[in-house]
This record gives sequence, structure tokens and C-alpha cells, in this order.
Amino acid sequence: MALLEMENLTVEFGSEKNPFRAVDQVSLTIDKGEVVGIVGESGSGKSVSSLALMGLVSYPGRVNASRLNFDGNDLLAMPQSQRRKITGSDIAMIFQEPMTSLNPCFTVGYQISEALKVHVGGSRQERRDRAADLLQQVGIPDPLKRLSAFPHQLSGGMSQRVMIAMAIACNPKLLIADEPTTALDVTIQAQIMDVLLRLQQDRGMALILITHDLAVVSEAAHRVQVMYAGQVVETGKVPDIFTAPRHPYTQALLEALPERSRGKRRLTTIPGVVPGVYDRPKGCLLAPRCRYADATCRTVRPQVSDLAGAKIRCFHPLDDAGRPTP
Amino acid sequence: MLNLIKALLGLDKPLWQQYTLYLYHAIQGDLGLSIVTKKPVIEEFLTLFPATIELTLCAMLFAVTIGLPAGIWAAVKRGTAVDHSVMAVSLTGYSMPIFWWGLLLIIFCSVTLGITPVSGRLSAEYWIDPTTGFMLIDTLLSEEEGAFADALHHLVLPAIVLGTIPLAVIARMTRSSMLEVLREDYVRTARAKGLSPLRVIGVHALRNALIPVITVIGLQLGTMLAGAILTETIFSWPGIGRWLIQSIARRDYPSVQGGILLVASVIITVNLLVDVLYGIINPRIRHTR
Repeated sequence: MALLEMENLTVEFGSEKNPFRAVDQVSLTIDKGEVVGIVGESGSGKSVSSLALMGLVSYPGRVNASRLNFDGNDLLAMPQSQRRKITGSDIAMIFQEPMTSLNPCFTVGYQISEALKVHVGGSRQERRDRAADLLQQVGIPDPLKRLSAFPHQLSGGMSQRVMIAMAIACNPKLLIADEPTTALDVTIQAQIMDVLLRLQQDRGMALILITHDLAVVSEAAHRVQVMYAGQVVETGKVPDIFTAPRHPYTQALLEALPERSRGKRRLTTIPGVVPGVYDRPKGCLLAPRCRYADATCRTVRPQVSDLAGAKIRCFHPLDDAGRPTP
Repeated sequence: MLNLIKALLGLDKPLWQQYTLYLYHAIQGDLGLSIVTKKPVIEEFLTLFPATIELTLCAMLFAVTIGLPAGIWAAVKRGTAVDHSVMAVSLTGYSMPIFWWGLLLIIFCSVTLGITPVSGRLSAEYWIDPTTGFMLIDTLLSEEEGAFADALHHLVLPAIVLGTIPLAVIARMTRSSMLEVLREDYVRTARAKGLSPLRVIGVHALRNALIPVITVIGLQLGTMLAGAILTETIFSWPGIGRWLIQSIARRDYPSVQGGILLVASVIITVNLLVDVLYGIINPRIRHTR
């Protein structure tokens, strides 16, 4: 049985009559110990869908799914108090902005042991020892001394390590890392990714890695889900998706990698922006930016279809040579 | 005779000497004698000050216990009927002329319903020795039956009237500060830990939201301790505010002069204490070296 089974997750904001779909029928299945990368431009619904999975989308957002099972439990059917026991212990999350994600008024030790207090219990001394142990695991030197530090005394990289320590405190089965390295500088990025992947392997936990960074995904993930404007456009295995992308958007994303523009006068880009609330196209959401779009693409919205082990939302999936099929 | 009085009041000396002498005495706590009562100004002030402190603290207690939860509630339920009514009521309270509000309450509670006394600190049937000057404490110490309840009865209306504006200010400040904090990333982190809404709001958000609210409370406290002139006058509350107004009416210059000086020092002291408190609640200030 899969650890997480999510089918047709939809998150809507705005009024009932005129809703705006931030996440549109996203399905995702994750096995124990699996690393799944979710990539896409800003505004493609990556973060919102994982917040919905955590149960953190609050009013006026509305979350629906035809199925949302975690470890055999139906997350949508259970009462809020029950779900909070899973959130933060079995499913944990770390965020993009480590500097603002820690509460400035409480010490690092307090914030780590608080998670333990709620989900695990134990005496104050036990929790303190465990917190120090966790800081050690994420590579913070002199952990006992750091316990009494306040977040403003830590650098961005240190803060993210503390966030990771906090997230893994209750031995989660699934860790969601929402662009964990975007706000950090490059040398620290590599260190944080190392810590994350080492912990993932040591503990055998599943990891959802939300990122812009395709290079990180290609190295770390087993599977990749590409999102665009709230929809999943392609799901596939690594390395297949990098060697032979089936969806034009995935192809365009890969071509936009700076490494692939080596020797060219200009970097390759995808023209235009992700459609906003009021300018969603009638047909395929990518149609205005897609170089292969035809009349059907502009008028009819494609559905997800299976194609050689991958899932594609496109009328003209690309062949192995990267050319659209009729 | 005239020369004698002039010499007694020091008016025969040149102006700069009078002023230097005044400063010299003021530093040592001697603010001169009241023209009316012939008692030292500092002594008069100290006798009346406990009454003002008592009233101020009770008013602030009232304002904080209602204003803070109301502000938090409004912020959590933002955009709903709860939010709008809390804001409407606090705006009404803020714009209400204090003397009119006091009179309204007296007419309703004291005259029509007869549940509270009209004015003063204690009914005439009790005689309590001023041990501490705080009527609530003194009545408890005196062991006279019913005196404490009577003192409390006298305190309710003035405290409500004096606390109305601070209540409104605190409620509005708490709401806006809370709304800001609730959007912060660390609130999302707290929720992601699986904490109950009560803990997320009451511990993680409130601690941060309190920082600007404390400042407002401190400023209000300073102003109130300086004598709630309107409230004390309406309720014949024997405190600093009423004493200052009376002194002005009697042209009692030493009292007015000394009173203002003392009131100013009280405000400065309170603000200083608030700054210290600020450091306790906000670690970012405490650790700056």
C-alpha cells in the first residue's frame, strides 16, 4: 500500500460562484521512502497543494479531493483534532524562508521541544536532550549551547537546519520540503540538500521536494511531477523525464536551464507568464505559450492520459526525438 | 505686613534667585507649601496619589481584560460580523466624550437601577484609617464588615469610564497587530507542527502581537496616572486629577506647579518601565549589545 494516495486534489479560493482554482485535480501517489520532486514556475500551485496536504489551507480556501489517504487513514474524513496529530508528526514540512519561519520570541530549544511535547511527550529534560540530539543530526555545532539561542542570532542556513530538526523531531513518514534552499546562497544550498537527503536515506522517510531547481531534482528524486497553472502536466520517472520529456512544457523548462544555453548569445526562456486568475485560456492552459499549440489546443482542455509509464496532459505528446506527435 | 509676607514667600529676592532656590528645593523633594491648605505640596500629592493609582490600575485591568481578547477575537474572525461589531463598539467607545459617558452611566446604574453609588471612594458609614492609601487594601486590613465590597462598588463605575478609551485603543491595536502577525511565516510553522488553534494564536501569535500593544498600554497608563481629570471630577474621586483642577480654580500656584512637575515625572517613569518591559518580551532588543 502506498504511503500517500491523493486523487483529484482541488483547492479553490474566492467566492463559491466565481471560484479561482489554485490547484486543479492534482493526483499524487508516494511510496514509503520515495523521493518525489515537484517542479514548476512560481504560481503553478506547488506550495498550495502541499499546504492542502498538511491541512494548512484555511478559510476562505476550500480543499476537495476524491481521495486523500495517508498511511491508510482518510485525512479528509477525520476531525481536525485527529488530523493535527498526524500533521507535524507523521507528515512534516519545511518552508522556503527559514529566517521568518521561526518564531522570533522563543528560543530554538523551546520551538523544537514544543513539537516533541505535543506529539511524543516526555519530561522536560528528555525533550531537551532529544532537541540537542536533533541539532547534532542536522549538523549544528555545539548543539547544547544553541538550544538557548533566539532565531535572530542564527544565519539563514542555521535557521533552515533548525527548521529541519524541528520537522524531523517526531520521526515523520513523509517530509515536505517547500523550496528549502531558494532563499539561501549557493554554498549553503548544497549543504542543506546534503542534510535533507542524508536524513531521508537514514530514516527511510518519503520526501516531497518542491523546487525550481531541476538539477537538484535530477540528482535526488525518483519521480518528478511537473505542474503548470495549478495542474499536473507531466508525471514521470527520473531519468526518463530528463532524457525524453513528453510534455512541451517540460521540454521548455529543460531548455531554459542555463547550462543548455552554453555558447548561445541569449539564454533560452519560455515567453509569457503563467496565466492569472482572470486570463485563464479556454483550451489548454499552456496553449498561449506553447510553440506546438494548434486550434484544438486553444479550444479544448486536454485530460491526463497514460503514455509509456508516464502521465501526460497534452494532445500532442512529444516523441523520443522531442517532436510533437499528431 | 506686606514686606513680611513677601520675605516669607521669597518674593523680595531677584527673579533668578527665586528660580534657583525653587530648583534647589525641588531637587530635595520640597515643592513649597500650598497657598490654600498651607501643607507641603509633595505631602498633598502623596496623600492623593494612591487613589489615582488605584483607579488607574482598575481601569487598565478592565481595559486589558476586555480589550485584548476582543481584539484577538476580531482578528481571528476578520471580515465577519464579530470583527465588524467589535470594531464598531470600540470606535464608539473611542469617540465617546468621557464626561457624557460618565454621566450616562451614573444616571443609568446609580439613579435608575440604584446598583452603584454615585460618587466618592467609600460610603460615609465606614471610617477606614489610611494605612496604604489604597482603599481596596485598607478596607481588607480594617476587617470592617462590608467595607471592601463597598469600596469595590464605588470603584466600578469610575474604572469603567476611565477604562473605556484605553479599551478601545487596546482592542484596535491588538486587532491590527494580530492581523499582521497571523500572516507571518512562523504562524504557519506553528500550525504545521500540529499545534491546536488556541496554542497557535494564544502563544505563538500573541507573544509577537503584544509588542506594539504593550507600548500603547504604557502610554495610556502614563496619561491615566497623570490624573484622570474628567473622570475624577465627575465621580468626586479624591485623586490627582481632581486636586489639580481644584488647585487651578483656587489659583494655588505652588500646588499646580509642583503637581505638574510630579505628574511629568510619573509619566517619564512609567515610560521607562515600559521600555524595560519591552526588552523582556522582545528578545531581539534584549540581546542587542
